[in-house]
Amino acid sequence: MTAVALRNLLARKLRTVLTSLAVVLGVMMVTGTYVLTDTIDQSFGKIFEQSNEGIDAVVTSREKVETDDGQEPSFPAEILDRVKTVEGVESAAGGIFDPQVAILDKQGEPIGGNGAPSFGASVVPDRFEPLNYVGKRPSDDGEVVIDKQTANRADYAVGDRIKVAGKEQAREYDLVGIATLGDVDSFGGASIAVFTLDEARRVTRKQGKLDQISVAAADGVSSKELTRSLADALPRSVEPETGAQNTQSQKEDVGEFISILKTALLIFSGVSLFVAAFLIFNTFSITVAQRTREFSMLRTLGASRRQLVTTVVVEAAVIGLLASVLGLLAGFGFAPAINALFKALEIDLPNQGTVIAARTVILAFVIGIGLTVLASLIPALRITRLPPVTGLREGAVLETPGRYRLRTALATGLTAIGVVAMLLGVFGALSPGELWVGVGAGAIFIGVALLSPRLVGPMASFVGRPVERFRGVAGRLARENAVRNPGRTASTAAALMIGLALVSFVAIFASGLKSSITAAFDKTITADLILSNNDGFSDISAGVADAASELRGVEVASPTRYTQANSAGEEGGSLTLVDTGTVGSVMTLDWKEGDDAVLTGLGETDAVIDEKWGREQGLAVGETFKTGTASGREITYTVRGSFVDRADFNGDYVASDATAADYGEPDSVQQVLLKLEEGADTAAVRKQVDELVGARFPTVESKDRQEYKDFISSELNQLLGGVYALLALAVIVSLFGIVNTLALSIHERTRELGLIRAVGMSRRQVRRIVRYEAVITALIGAVLGSLLGVLFAVIMSRPLADEGFTLSIPVFTLIVLLLLAIVAGVVAAIGPARRAARLDVLNALAYE
Amino acid sequence: MITDSQAIVTAKDVHRRFGEGDAAVDALDGVSVDFPKGRFTAIMGPSGSGKSTLMHVLAGLDRPTSGSVQIDGLEITELDDKRLTELRRDNVGFVFQFFNLLPVLTAEENIRLPLSIAGRKADPERLAALVDAVNIGDRLAHRPAELSGGQQQRVAIARALVSKPAVVFADEPTGNLDSNASDEVLSLLRRAVDEFGQTVVMVTHDANAAAIADRVLVLVDGKVVQDAHAGSAEQVHDLLKAETTA
Repeated sequence: MTAVALRNLLARKLRTVLTSLAVVLGVMMVTGTYVLTDTIDQSFGKIFEQSNEGIDAVVTSREKVETDDGQEPSFPAEILDRVKTVEGVESAAGGIFDPQVAILDKQGEPIGGNGAPSFGASVVPDRFEPLNYVGKRPSDDGEVVIDKQTANRADYAVGDRIKVAGKEQAREYDLVGIATLGDVDSFGGASIAVFTLDEARRVTRKQGKLDQISVAAADGVSSKELTRSLADALPRSVEPETGAQNTQSQKEDVGEFISILKTALLIFSGVSLFVAAFLIFNTFSITVAQRTREFSMLRTLGASRRQLVTTVVVEAAVIGLLASVLGLLAGFGFAPAINALFKALEIDLPNQGTVIAARTVILAFVIGIGLTVLASLIPALRITRLPPVTGLREGAVLETPGRYRLRTALATGLTAIGVVAMLLGVFGALSPGELWVGVGAGAIFIGVALLSPRLVGPMASFVGRPVERFRGVAGRLARENAVRNPGRTASTAAALMIGLALVSFVAIFASGLKSSITAAFDKTITADLILSNNDGFSDISAGVADAASELRGVEVASPTRYTQANSAGEEGGSLTLVDTGTVGSVMTLDWKEGDDAVLTGLGETDAVIDEKWGREQGLAVGETFKTGTASGREITYTVRGSFVDRADFNGDYVASDATAADYGEPDSVQQVLLKLEEGADTAAVRKQVDELVGARFPTVESKDRQEYKDFISSELNQLLGGVYALLALAVIVSLFGIVNTLALSIHERTRELGLIRAVGMSRRQVRRIVRYEAVITALIGAVLGSLLGVLFAVIMSRPLADEGFTLSIPVFTLIVLLLLAIVAGVVAAIGPARRAARLDVLNALAYE
Repeated sequence: MITDSQAIVTAKDVHRRFGEGDAAVDALDGVSVDFPKGRFTAIMGPSGSGKSTLMHVLAGLDRPTSGSVQIDGLEITELDDKRLTELRRDNVGFVFQFFNLLPVLTAEENIRLPLSIAGRKADPERLAALVDAVNIGDRLAHRPAELSGGQQQRVAIARALVSKPAVVFADEPTGNLDSNASDEVLSLLRRAVDEFGQTVVMVTHDANAAAIADRVLVLVDGKVVQDAHAGSAEQVHDLLKAETTA
């Protein structure tokens, strides 16, 4: 009997391949994700290992607050003297390692992409040096060395004069060498500039300070013993680690990021696999129905139900196996493709060599075979409901209409449960929320898919009527064909529905986000110009504010700092520090309690809080809370007021920047907000500002109000682009479904097609029938998908509604989606339509 | 009633009702009949007379509403699906109007199919004898699509005989064939009875086909109205005419 299954697959190679393709793409994404993240993980691991080679112990500042940029505050250089006196230390050297030093290209623009840090470091003695140098090391304050990738990117060579900017004004250096790290070319998109220690301190404004001390142990002292002695001898403000520990903790930091990336990619893979499961289900439903007579015959020959189910399951397993192999191979190619996608999003991740873990391969097979077998199980079990004799009659059908009512009830229930699960997940009543949202969405998809056979009739009339009006009989036949087997059309459309629901949900949600953020911006920011890092989020030098306030036409230049602290017992919350003297001119808050006078009157230990955070913490005006800062100092704040923060611009609370140094940010700010004098010539002032930052702070960019809003939109759009690209795969999978269903239906209607050809229908008209059927199916999927997308957006934005999230339906985008669905239908129909039109009339009529 | 040898299939007062209430139709209305071992019986009757239903009930493909059916002494109306499946597999052979060969298997594989389903090996001698009898030795490696209708039906007959069933049921085996091919198929069934001692029950509405049988049953409205020696085609015709025009 197994032979029968295998023969069936061989005899229908095209169908086998088409069916497996759906799964191939899903497996490809899973495999690609694991290969990519494993590779990145390993590459980072290598970078860290090599940078800690020859180092027995590392002393860094004790991290008190988990910060976004992972930057730890520096510590006084005297610690190094203490280290040198500790027993067991053979030698020790201190260094600067600062993530805010930009290397400028020949046009004076900073090199490097979004988010990739750009480091400034000091040269360290030979034995601790992680870098390999081509050329020489910086030995003079006017000399610098940069990494190979950055040099290549900007086309720099040893001997060039290059500009580097840190917190101080940009300065020109002699490029005396190019550095590499072991056999790794890329630092993950990061750039690095190496100076002498003195110059590094000057550039980063860390005079008299160090970021890191590397220690070598004397003979016979283990790194563990060394670290223990260091811990005993040094103050609590610094933390000694063994080299291995340091490597490990760096790996863990980056591991967190990689696991977020992995989860995100796996979610998209899951979507594709979910869609693929629908298609497998559909394909097997159709083929099982088409083979009713064959199964009946086998039953009369004495095949047991179990044997028949087994043949179908074996078929599924073989398709799954094929899909796993192809998906695995494609996954190896997909990993670089995702990496390229990230590069396009200006996220450069190191990947050296391809890591193919046994786990990846096993998973590919488990998913590929498991999913296919599972999805084929329901159609396969349907065979058991088949009494042997019925199948032998002409036109036997497997559908049992009596079950429709039960099915509708079940489907409605499932949809309702899905909505409830999503709501509970969104509001955090069930945790983890994300999981329940996903489970809810899955239940809704299945529920609606089960319901949709009932919707196919009316919807086909709705979307099919116009086609019929313009295309006459071809349109009419297409519509009739679409409703002839509602279950089949419905599940084909459902596959497309899933992808489109997610696409339209993302579009709607993003559009709501955009308009909410812009609205919040207009409401709270009164500045005329905004100065910030050109990547949009890195810090800039605090000197920008001082310099800008000197300019003619500028009334105030107010610096704001967005930073992290452990507030009210919470780890790593965010807050904003403002300059109370100037903030009143550039910013207001959407006050719940208090007014602008409270903001400008904030003392060192006063804060105004986000009312939502206040509610969570049970804080009211007049009460106090404690904040642990990066420097270790604890500040007790008194709540002076509360505000509504629609777009989460300000974090948990706003406080005075008089304590900026305590937060470890004396010299860096997030933004400088400029208010121009009444009647000042905006263009002229802007020109001055641009000249100033162009000359002294090359990483800074000015934006007027509109440009700032556009920038936020474009950042969101970029993210959207990535999300769409990944969702596109799910949509492509569902197109295979349309192709497959059409091909199977045409096979089934061979005789009928012969008949209409015999009575005079042209090949072109036959193609049209098939094409319109595809378009109708695709439109049903698109309409259902868009509606579900709106439903998801409504559900997901519920918790944000009281924060002022306004849902706006991007009508234009949705129309584009519908048009794309039509195009998709037409494309999917090309193959099957051609096949239908090519049928030889006589043969088709003589068919069986 | 012909009782000149031991009955291999016995039906007693078999009723089969389709539908319920007003829409109920009695396809079989009290049929009692024996099929002796090693004989060729034709079941005839006009459309809707219940001849196919009778065959399905006799073969265990369908359950009677009431009454008893025994094959080889075994009461089959009480059997569960598993036992019925085994019964069909080991004791009953089928030949269909539309051949019902598996398109993806070769002729030889189709012949072996009942044995493969049962997980048994074919007896090479019997297989050779069968292949020889149905005269498709040179087409064994071909797929059904590459065979003529007559050839396909001969393969189907070989398939029905391969597991040495107690009885072979043939449902309009010539309904889809031209007259030459029909003759071949009928004489093949005849030889199965004469040479292999096979019991054959054939449903047909073709008097010429029925004439090859030993005995003809005529069914009308779910009742057996004639049970006679077949004789010539004309005689069968007359039998049929007498009943359907009466």
